[in-house]
Parts: sequence; structure tokens; C-alpha cells
Amino acid sequence: MKWAAILGITVILVLMAMYEWPKMDKKMKKEKSAFVAITIIGWLLAMLLVFFPDMPGPTQLVDAIYKPLGKLLEK
Amino acid sequence: MIEKGKISAFQMGVMMYPTIFATAILSLPSIIAVQAGRDMWLSPIWASTIGFLAVCIAYQLHKLYPKETIVEYSVHLVGRIVGKIMGLMFIFFYMHLNGFIIREYGEFVVGNFFVKTPIIVVIGSMVIVCAFAVRGGVEVLGRCAQIFVPIVIILILLIVFLLSPDLKPIQIYPIMEHGVKPSLMGAVVPSDWFSEFIVISFLLPYLTDREKGMKWGMISVFAVMLTMVLSNMTALFLFGINTVGFRYPVMVAARYISLANFLEHLESIVMAIWIVGAFVKISVFYYVIVLGTAQWLKLTDYRPIVWPVGFLLVLFSVWVAPNVQEMTRVVGTSIPFYLLSMQVAVPTLLLFIAFIQKKFRKKGRAKG
Repeated sequence: MKWAAILGITVILVLMAMYEWPKMDKKMKKEKSAFVAITIIGWLLAMLLVFFPDMPGPTQLVDAIYKPLGKLLEK
Repeated sequence: MIEKGKISAFQMGVMMYPTIFATAILSLPSIIAVQAGRDMWLSPIWASTIGFLAVCIAYQLHKLYPKETIVEYSVHLVGRIVGKIMGLMFIFFYMHLNGFIIREYGEFVVGNFFVKTPIIVVIGSMVIVCAFAVRGGVEVLGRCAQIFVPIVIILILLIVFLLSPDLKPIQIYPIMEHGVKPSLMGAVVPSDWFSEFIVISFLLPYLTDREKGMKWGMISVFAVMLTMVLSNMTALFLFGINTVGFRYPVMVAARYISLANFLEHLESIVMAIWIVGAFVKISVFYYVIVLGTAQWLKLTDYRPIVWPVGFLLVLFSVWVAPNVQEMTRVVGTSIPFYLLSMQVAVPTLLLFIAFIQKKFRKKGRAKG
């Protein structure tokens, strides 16, 4: 099942690249590298989330930082 | 400039209205009621001061750097390295926040209507629609808002009108039974919605009539405040203090409508309000992220990164919280302070630095 998820994610990203790549100019090197970089970050994060769905995220960090203030609102 | 489109100040105001209000209409009344009890209709009024403040800060910063957004001028204000870190923080912050918004949208739709649909399908289709709108640029977003917002307002008023036979205004008494404090505590959570008005600092540079930006920003804050008071009052008049028990009071209220055994099942209206509002809200934040990222990386065009960022947004919406209970808890406790510090404290600091720099520059010129 996990391998199916990985396959699906990869297919979506490839489709995305196929849609977007021809629309970019040849001169737009920076845009292309930004596109590739963000896509790779997305792919890696997706892999992590597939294998560790309970991975702590930014929300846990925020919650840890603001907990003393957040307690004011708890009832 | 990356963005070539232009919008009018009026369009900006109209765009900001659902951007703040969309997620507030459903869950906010019960979150406020936990703190404020019967004074819950007062809380949005206190909270709106944060909205007016945010518009003021954004406009003052905009006057100093008329052609730049907050990601660009933070580099001028606090130096290259700190400015870049700040820009990245803003981009990451809005990505996180938009993850919350998208998740909230998905949870509501799945929880109430499409019970058997996987949430990722609901979220994914919304993000795809928003991605097309964002690719169109700020002009398209402005026009979408202009078409949708009147519909949203009419539908909200229709719900309140149809509920009016069942409303008991007597529920409002006693006003301020325990002093001002409960309503002020209740104002903390809605004030983070109002702090989202700092988003206009990403839109102000693209206005055709900049001097009206402040005016329409203020009108928008006021409209949001009125609508929040209206939705809170409706919930209060209908359910009284029991509003606390419902996750989506307005939704339950709409289900409750039954006129002459003929007009029933009006929750579809709430659904329509929600989807249209959420579409504008998600698109505006999505646009802010894409534009901010493009400016941070100094790209010549933001359109190439729309789809990859959309994919990241879907991931963030899954990542923000393990389940809906945890999400509601975080939104009710620590997230308001996170939003306030990122959207009010940081811009205030930037404005402060800007004023000091301006003073020193003037002194330097006088000496030289």
C-alpha cells in the first residue's frame, strides 16, 4: 500500500512537471531550478509523511513555544 | 515587478472580506463562547482593533516602500541576512497557516457532507482549483472575489432572515454579567483572524489607486466585524449559552430552519457560503505564498512555482494536525498567539526600525 502511495505521488509530480515544463522559456534557468527544488522538497516531505504519518510537524513546535500563553485560554 | 496585473482598492477590500471571514463563520462562535459566554457578540468588536492596527501598520510600511511587499522591504530594513531569514519565516508561516485553512475546509466538508470521501480528494481538488486562480494572477483573484462576495453576503443575510422567527433576543441579558474580562478573553481567538489583515501588505503595491488602500482596508475590517457580530448574535439568540456544545453552530442553525414544512435542509446554503469563501481565502493565502517565494528567490515570474507550492500545501494540510480534535484544541489555545506574534509583533518591529532609520538618515543629511 505504501509503495502504491509513493508511485501515485511520483506520477502526480511527473504530470505536474510535464504540464509546467514546456511553458517555461529556455532563458528561465532560475525558475526551472526553483521549480525542481520545490518539487524535490515536496517529494521528500511526501515520502516522510507516507512512512511516518505521526511525524511531529511545525504545529508541535509552535505549540511547544506558545504553551505558557496558550494555557491562559484553556478552560 | 513580478506581478503585472493591477487591482483597485475596492477589489482589495472585497477580496479581504472572505479572506478573513470564511473560516470564522463556522467554528468561531463556539470557540468564543467558551471564554465569553453570553458576551460573545462583544468579542469581535474588541478583536477588530487588531484588524485596524494591522491595516495601519501595513499601510505605513507601504508608504515607505510603495513598490515592494513585506518580503522585499524586510531585506532593506534589517539587512540582507536577517531580512532573508525573516522573508523565509513569513513564507513558511503562511504555508503553515494555509495548511490549517485547507485542513479546516476539508474536515468540514468531509465531516458534514461527503462522509465517505477520503479527505485528500476534497483537499486536492480545492487546491487544484485555487492553483488555476493563482496562476491567473492578482487580477483574476480580485474579480473572483468581486463576483462571489455579493453572493456570500446575500446568503448569510438569507440564513439570518429565515432564522429570525426562532431568535430570542432576550438571551443577550445579562450583558457583562462578570465584567469586561470574559469578553476580552474571548477576543483573543478572533483577534488572530483580524491580524490576517496584514496580508494586504502583499496586495497594496498592485493597487491602481493607492491612496484609497487604507480606506478600503478599514471598511473591510469593519464589514468583517459586523458579520462576526451578526453570526455570533444569531448563534447566541438561537442556542443561548449552549453554543459551546456545537462545533459548527451556524451549520446546526441552518439545519434547524423549517418554514411551513417547505423550506428545509438549508445547510446547503451554508455549504455554498463556506466553499465560495474558502476558495477566495485559500487562493489569497496561496497567492501570497507563491508571490513571496518568487520575490524571495528573485525570480522573474511566479507562475512556474504555483504547482509545486500547491503540492506542498496539500502536504502541509495533512501535516498540521493528526486529527480534528487536536486541531481545534491548538486553534483555541496556542495558535492565536503564534498568529499575533508573526502578523502583528513582527510587522510592528519592522515599522519601528523603519522610523528609527528614517530619523537617523535625516540627521545624517542635516550634518552632511
